[in-house]
Amino acid sequence: MKSKLTVPQLLAMALVFTVEAAAQAPSTAPAKSSGLRSDELTAPAGGSANPDTKKVRPRDSTPHGPTPRLADGHPDLSGVWNGGGPVGDLAQGLAPGETIPLLPAAKALMDKRQAKDDPEANCLPTGIPRISPYPWRIVEDPTHIFFLFEGNIHSYRQIFMDGRKHPDDPDPSWYGHSIGTWDGDTLVVDTIGFNDKFWFDFRGHPHTEQLHTIERYTRKDLGTLENKVTIIDPGDYSKPFTLTFTARLRPHEELMEYICQENQQDAQHMQGTSGPPQNP
Amino acid sequence: MKAAFASLLAGLALLTPAAALAHHSFAAEYDTKKPVTLKGTVTNVEWTNPHARFYLDVKDESGAVTHWNLELASPNVLVRQGWSRHTLKAGDQVTVEGAQAKDGSQMANARTVTLADGKKVFAFSPSDAPAQ
Repeated sequence: MKSKLTVPQLLAMALVFTVEAAAQAPSTAPAKSSGLRSDELTAPAGGSANPDTKKVRPRDSTPHGPTPRLADGHPDLSGVWNGGGPVGDLAQGLAPGETIPLLPAAKALMDKRQAKDDPEANCLPTGIPRISPYPWRIVEDPTHIFFLFEGNIHSYRQIFMDGRKHPDDPDPSWYGHSIGTWDGDTLVVDTIGFNDKFWFDFRGHPHTEQLHTIERYTRKDLGTLENKVTIIDPGDYSKPFTLTFTARLRPHEELMEYICQENQQDAQHMQGTSGPPQNP
Repeated sequence: MKAAFASLLAGLALLTPAAALAHHSFAAEYDTKKPVTLKGTVTNVEWTNPHARFYLDVKDESGAVTHWNLELASPNVLVRQGWSRHTLKAGDQVTVEGAQAKDGSQMANARTVTLADGKKVFAFSPSDAPAQ
């Protein structure tokens, strides 16, 4: 069987399957929202990649179905998600043919930034719209929406849903001051009050304290959450620009502890600028 | 047939991008043009974030021992793939394939770890993740 498979076939299959740990805690994915149990997404075990593994589930385990809704009729955004923002390069969220309108001084700053100085590599927060390559959870209550991040760092965002306005002069912070409103089925998160410390990606795309972000979250279906984020920062960019990223529901996942500061040994070994994203 | 399927899945685990994730730039830290194959004895395993690590004593032909620091994915990624903190332990004899740190230190990103009995443990290590 194995000898008949070509490398392209193996690669294709690698995208289709992944391995689930038998020891992993039973899913408490938003059953109320998704109507799915974890075992409904689990393929029959045919083997395992290691002796401890009992189950195999489709790699593309993003569930499909209608957008779940809350009692008030708004889409229910709760659940554990992966992705939904830039990791390696902000430009990957651009529409085809578009470019990032970096001002010359901002480009010069980006070009000289060293990978070892990336705050995220040093276990500091991502800011917005950057996302870590780790799961995160949306939790809703009547007055707040929380984004709980597994990594990096083990932190959270709070979005005020009670109709308040931004403060006149917020103290600059990593996640800023966020207020949310509904535009039909889209959650609009307006954020100001950022510090200028975080980078937008591994490349080092910069921003200033003038940064203002408008994120538009639309749960397209059960398993797909689109984030269309507009970056407004006249300090570093000649005009506002909009990026689109997609988060995928991870119904099997629970957040796990991730204390980045515990054993960080990477930054001191990094050299040069990070350059374009690269896989080994 | 079942064994063949298990082997196939083991191979797929090597290819899956699920673990190809990190909180930092892979390209800035490790040089894929400096592949290393290290055979030695595990001296310690650190099941900690942001990366699980293990340390390896490698003896050369003259008997001199060098000590290597080897990076894996985060424990969370490894646990989600079915590995555990018990998968590798001090005293294990292993062969490691990976990429050495660009700064030349005896540190590498461990892509595959093979136990003395031929069983592969862990598989693939973090790299830059694609956006989204």
